Amino acid sequence: MTLTHRQPLGLDDVVVVDCDVHVDDPPQALAPYVDMPWRRSLELLGRAPQRYLDIPGYAPTLNIDPPVPDRSVSTRSVHTARQMREELDELSVDLGVLFPDNLLRIAVFPQADYAAALGRAYNAWLADVWVQRERGLYGAVLAVPQDPRDAAAQIRRYGADDGFVGVYLPVAGLRPLWGERCYDPIFEAAEEMGLPVMLHSVGLIHPNFPFNLDHMTSRLVRHPIQHEFALMANLFTMIGSGVPVRYPDLDIVFTEGGVSWVPFVMWRLDKEFAENPTGAPLLERPPSSYVKQMYFCTQPVEEPERPRDLAAMIDLFDGRAQVLFASDWPHHDFDHPRKVLHMPFDADLKRKIMGENALRLLKLPAPVPV
Amino acid sequence: MPRIRVGTEDSIQPGAPALVRHGGVEVGVFQVDGEFRAYLNRCPHQQGPVCTGPTTGTLAAARATGWKLAWVLDGRVLLCPWHTMEFDLLTGQRIRGRGERLRAYPVEVSGGEVFVTIGRPQVEPSQGRQCVG
Ligand code: FES
Repeated sequence: MTLTHRQPLGLDDVVVVDCDVHVDDPPQALAPYVDMPWRRSLELLGRAPQRYLDIPGYAPTLNIDPPVPDRSVSTRSVHTARQMREELDELSVDLGVLFPDNLLRIAVFPQADYAAALGRAYNAWLADVWVQRERGLYGAVLAVPQDPRDAAAQIRRYGADDGFVGVYLPVAGLRPLWGERCYDPIFEAAEEMGLPVMLHSVGLIHPNFPFNLDHMTSRLVRHPIQHEFALMANLFTMIGSGVPVRYPDLDIVFTEGGVSWVPFVMWRLDKEFAENPTGAPLLERPPSSYVKQMYFCTQPVEEPERPRDLAAMIDLFDGRAQVLFASDWPHHDFDHPRKVLHMPFDADLKRKIMGENALRLLKLPAPVPV
Repeated sequence: MPRIRVGTEDSIQPGAPALVRHGGVEVGVFQVDGEFRAYLNRCPHQQGPVCTGPTTGTLAAARATGWKLAWVLDGRVLLCPWHTMEFDLLTGQRIRGRGERLRAYPVEVSGGEVFVTIGRPQVEPSQGRQCVG
């Protein structure tokens, strides 16, 4: 037997599809795309002094932490398609799926007409100035939970455009959670258009579970609840109401939660289902078999003391075809693609995670080298 | 190994490191507590430009103070601009980390001028007290 020496894979050797990058979406940018009276509202908000991801009436949250000296360094934003392309080139990312910054909090607005108008404006603006305005920039249609019918119409409208490859489901502050039947029009439209739904949360303190975190003392303890707990809670409700059974061709993606919670969710739900199958009567098989069909983005990638444990973790949910690279650029907790590429995965798994899984899921051709 | 002149002692002030480049290697030269240290401008976490981050302190709490928060190591903590990991500028070690450390290079002061030797990095970090908490 001859042993051949193989060079480790570098970023130039793999296609990198980044399933989560963020565009700066200030109110003044969306104002021209929105109907009255909200256009005037956004113009007003645009003239007021703005703080990073903290705009009352547009990106509201409860800011209860005192600033710790020098810890506000990571407030990067990407303002144009050109800037995004240049920065993704710097990161060796070939293709990126765009998500908003401020409108990550769109689910909190009780005024459904306002939320729907913002959603329509965001999608129109994204199509106009971001999607495919530079090489490899793809959109996710924002589905406003407050008005599922309007969201479904948006999915059908923009889903016909090759530049939109998914549907963004806001998670932060959402009530009820995504498994509720009121959202069926959104799932129907996404399945019909062949677009995966992509759940994405964000830091938020809000009365709605699990964002009722005002008593918690630091961002460190709140942040995993705002992301992983919130994703889990939504996954539970989607399993409970049989979303994967009722929409068998719908792909479901969880972003910004890493992957290590997936085995827990599978085993916990299977245990529960064994005892209480009538609690999820639509399921035809144990819950884990549906969870294994879902997709999970790497960021914030786990950094265990023994990195090989991450590979073992992915095996636990048969995740070789289900894990997708995401950087979350330009946010404070972004992952550089080399961090994931250098994990002790075999070369085939590296290729799949870094890009091949996403190309298949998003039905995109491999990018032509430039 | 190349010995690079960084500048005069006075030109490298606390919180205002000098960045020097030699053969594709970028090194930050810091003054802290009147001493000089030089570190590779690449974070051990995800290779961010660690030497371009702010020099600051950190929060700690100890049994001796009844677990009250205290601001410690002021002027001695380098914060990576990418994910805000904290490094002790005197030792190069990540504060409360898993043993990660910045790669250090020898610095010397001679005739009021600061020199850094960029070549093989020092294996051992520079000496310094670790006193968080
Ligand atoms: S790269 Fe420095 S903290 Fe992550």
